[in-house]
Amino acid sequence: MVWVETKLCGLLSRAMLADSSGDASSLWASVPLAAKVLAAVGLLIVVAAVVLGKIPFRYNVRNLFVRWKTTLSTGVVFVLVIALLTATQAFVNGMYRLTEASAREGNVMILSEGSTDEVFSNFGFSDINDIANQPGVLRDALNAPLCSKETYLIVVQPRRNPKPDGPQRRFIQLRGVEDPAISGVVHGMDLHDGGAWFSSVGVERRDVDGSGKKDDVIQAVIGEGLASELGRDRTEAERKAAKNQDRLAVGDVFELRDRRWLVVGVMKSAGTTFDSEVWAKQSLVGPMFGKVGFSTLVLRTQNDAAAEKLKEFFNTDYKKAAVTAYVEREYFDKLNQTNQQFSYAIGFIAFWIAIAGIAGTMNTMFAAISQRTKDIGVLRIVGFARWQILLSFLIESLFIALVGGAIGVAIGSLVDGSTMTSVVSSGQGGGKSVVIVLSVNAAIVAQGLLLALFMGGFGGLIPAINAMRVRPLESLR
Amino acid sequence: MPAKPIVRVKNVHKFFTRGSERLDVLNGLSLDVAEGEFLGLMGPSGSGKTTLLNLIAGLDRPSSGEVLIGNDRVSAMSEGQLASWRTRSVGFIFQFYHLLPVLSAYENVELPLLLLPLSSSERKKQVTTALELVGLTDRMKHRPGQLSGGQQQRVGIARAIVTDPLLIVADEPTGDLDARSADEILDLLGELRQALKKTILLVTHDPRAAQRADRVLHLDKGRLVEAAEVVG
Amino acid sequence: MKLFLLIARNVRRSYVRSGLTVLGTMVLVFVMTLVWSILAFLGDAMAEKSSNFKAIVTERWQIPSQMPFAYADSLSQGAATKPDDVRPTDSMTWQFYGGTTEKGTRTRENTVFAFGMQPSKINTMMDDLDSLPAKEAAELQAVIDKLESNRQGLILGRDRLAALKKQVGDRITLYGINYKDIDLEFEIVGTVPAGRYDNNAFFNRDYLLAAIDQYNDKHTDPHPLTEKSLNLVWLRVPDAETLRKVTAQIDSSSDYTNPQVKCETQSSGISAFMEAYSGLIWAMKYVLSPVIFVTLALVIATAISIAVRERRTELAVMKVLGFRPWQLLLLVLGEATLLGLIGGGLSAAATYVVVNIVMGGLKFQIGFFAAFFIPAAAIGWGLALGGGAALLGSVMPAFAARSVKVAEVFSKVA
Repeated sequence: MVWVETKLCGLLSRAMLADSSGDASSLWASVPLAAKVLAAVGLLIVVAAVVLGKIPFRYNVRNLFVRWKTTLSTGVVFVLVIALLTATQAFVNGMYRLTEASAREGNVMILSEGSTDEVFSNFGFSDINDIANQPGVLRDALNAPLCSKETYLIVVQPRRNPKPDGPQRRFIQLRGVEDPAISGVVHGMDLHDGGAWFSSVGVERRDVDGSGKKDDVIQAVIGEGLASELGRDRTEAERKAAKNQDRLAVGDVFELRDRRWLVVGVMKSAGTTFDSEVWAKQSLVGPMFGKVGFSTLVLRTQNDAAAEKLKEFFNTDYKKAAVTAYVEREYFDKLNQTNQQFSYAIGFIAFWIAIAGIAGTMNTMFAAISQRTKDIGVLRIVGFARWQILLSFLIESLFIALVGGAIGVAIGSLVDGSTMTSVVSSGQGGGKSVVIVLSVNAAIVAQGLLLALFMGGFGGLIPAINAMRVRPLESLR
Repeated sequence: MPAKPIVRVKNVHKFFTRGSERLDVLNGLSLDVAEGEFLGLMGPSGSGKTTLLNLIAGLDRPSSGEVLIGNDRVSAMSEGQLASWRTRSVGFIFQFYHLLPVLSAYENVELPLLLLPLSSSERKKQVTTALELVGLTDRMKHRPGQLSGGQQQRVGIARAIVTDPLLIVADEPTGDLDARSADEILDLLGELRQALKKTILLVTHDPRAAQRADRVLHLDKGRLVEAAEVVG
Repeated sequence: MKLFLLIARNVRRSYVRSGLTVLGTMVLVFVMTLVWSILAFLGDAMAEKSSNFKAIVTERWQIPSQMPFAYADSLSQGAATKPDDVRPTDSMTWQFYGGTTEKGTRTRENTVFAFGMQPSKINTMMDDLDSLPAKEAAELQAVIDKLESNRQGLILGRDRLAALKKQVGDRITLYGINYKDIDLEFEIVGTVPAGRYDNNAFFNRDYLLAAIDQYNDKHTDPHPLTEKSLNLVWLRVPDAETLRKVTAQIDSSSDYTNPQVKCETQSSGISAFMEAYSGLIWAMKYVLSPVIFVTLALVIATAISIAVRERRTELAVMKVLGFRPWQLLLLVLGEATLLGLIGGGLSAAATYVVVNIVMGGLKFQIGFFAAFFIPAAAIGWGLALGGGAALLGSVMPAFAARSVKVAEVFSKVA
């Protein structure tokens, strides 16, 4: 029994985890075989039964309407469970899509040896130039290697105008970058119109508040998600006066570590982990937060094969510095640790709620059958075979399941496109606070319907077997 | 016997076991029914008449002996074979009508036809004909709950004849009806027999019902005790 | 009382239905208990305490917090310098050391995450360990004494000990993850009482400090973490006023400029950290919990409405016999509630036993909380959930039972 449970749990969570690539067709390909078979069998039963007309389908459906109260309350259970599953799956899928979109084909990420997270990575100055000059690393028009040199920091920012009972601070991911234009090319980041990458000094003197007094302000490029979040910190009056009502725009100022930071560019970063980041001059922000060395190097190569080759080279043959290299996709996959944990939790919860749903369905179907033993007797005498009775009652519960499940999927899909703040991390410590766009795809819809059919099938099966066993003569007495 | 027998029951035994006790219901019973015959079966409760009916109708199998209907050896069929055989070969009429309450009169009559390879227009034709024969064409959209007892039984009869079976089996068809409705039903059965040349097996307590039969057999303790020709 | 017997008999009437209903109730209450245990724990951790609470001092501007060890002593005193400055009643320092038992390969099994501390603070300052029952407290004290006397001692959580496949008395070498090239050789001197530290470890901070010194003696460049080895300082303060004063002392001190530090209550520190998970917590509270509750009510409602429909005739007979409508109402509500209470109570009790005793906590990582325990109050939740959902689910069927029309029922039967 326990074995079956673990097996089922595993299956469920595998079905849920299966979804790790973007488009619908490959998602379907990643749905486990068992689930596909189940779906195919379920569909086949329904189609065969209805098309061949060998079961009194109308009779079953009409009975569902006659007992509309129990049909409804059973159906609503399906709606709730499937809607919940769909919405939570959309969340996990959103996380996967986020990390997926953040990794770029052909990029190699270099951290100090043994590091699994940028937060803990740190190398001295000496190794850097040599790493960038390895063969296989692409170069720009000026023959500079496409190597983004970065220092990754998580910074505490006191919120402006916080709600009294709400959080007073937030964590901001700050990326010190040596040459933002090169980093932009490496990560494939463009700026919104009117923006520019920060200058080689990274600061400028400017009268930011119109007081006539000029101040040194740090130039920063920020992700559009963070721009929106910081934009929400403004007072109503500030927002009305601002250039952009929804988010901070070029020329706006925010505070971090008692300094004023000037937005010089907003990145088109939606859907990536860079969406929640601030980029500024590394030589300024590194020392400011006590992290003088770089934490991360990202190298651009021709394609994934070249990236794989370069990674191998750094991990096995490169002796000049102690580094660990990852293909960028691989690094971001590690960040999915949290996602996996949530997937398992969702699988676990879905499994148990499904059990309750099955119990409820069984109650409904047992009652339906005990109420209609006479009908079954008549059907049998008229010449319906046992399997036809079995199917006809099974279809009754599958029908509730399918309709409830479809409505549930539809309701759950309403979350599609909405956003939620969460954390992606590779386990203990580290992690990035990110904005997740909840996203429903074909596989999630399929999973929802499958789970519904599974619940309906299991819930209906034993009662239907009971119905099948009804002895026609005794039932009529 | 004027015509060839359509029902042949040969030395049939049937017993049930209740716990350790064996209950013999039929003891070596043999019986032939001719094609087109209207046979009445009478007997006290527990005499085995319903059991006999069930064996003939393929609802149950004998402990030993043989039941042949037409050319089919019913007693040797599997459950699945019996089910489809019943659809084609036997029509049932019950004391309590046993119509499906959620289906209309029309749909109740149509029910056994779903099992046959018929197009929906063929089904419609047959159902309409059957309902015409029992005189209920004006009520075919009604649910059983909206019909009187007599009308429900007419629907039951229509359902029994709609597949054009060899044999019609009626178990106390008038048992739940008032005298007038009972007479109407028996009249209807007589007419159908005339019109369709069906073989009818009627189990009843009611001597007036039995009077309509060509022949009445009395069962007691699992044996035929007397056979009487009744002039219809 | 008679009515209760009747209720009990009705419950027993359909074992299958009652059983399925109780099963449905049990699994849903089980899931709900797990979810609420996590929420309750986090809620409690984030709730401000009014007296005898703890404060955390960390690096002001970034995480992870990494301060020079030179801060340790003065911060432990709440930066008190003058005689009339306020001092915390107790304190501890945390220095994190992560390591693997095999060099170069890191797996879930071979990784140890250890707190470098003053041994004597383990049982006065660590949450839960500072409030153990007498017997466990004595056992822990004995282990701590060993750690005091053995600078290379290591106290392991029992799950970690099992994962490493080691026993108390064994020696292990940990190869540094965050302290690169600083490897520590430990002797396992004991285990922590079962609970939230099952996967953690504690060691004597002096050993880490000595190891850093040793590294710096051998190398020309000091280890990068030399001035960053102090992660957190914990202070125990008697009341909010003391905390305010201590915070002011720390803020005004010129000793903590590079990096700057901040002092806040434990709960506000945790709240800030948990902010990233606020969306999830919101969803657990306001989406998951209601859905489970409504599902539960529906499962029970279905079962009870079936029971009422099946018993229309006998309800009518009871009316004829003189039962009052409210008694019938009560009969139905009672049956549902009894089922709900049985299912809910049993499930919560079983969850309590299984999770806390058999599984040793619910292993679910949220931030730095790795394991959650079912509070004893969960039994009450279970009863309230099961009973409440049953009551809610049976209201409509109960009214249906109350208003059974005798004449109608009998006319149908006849």
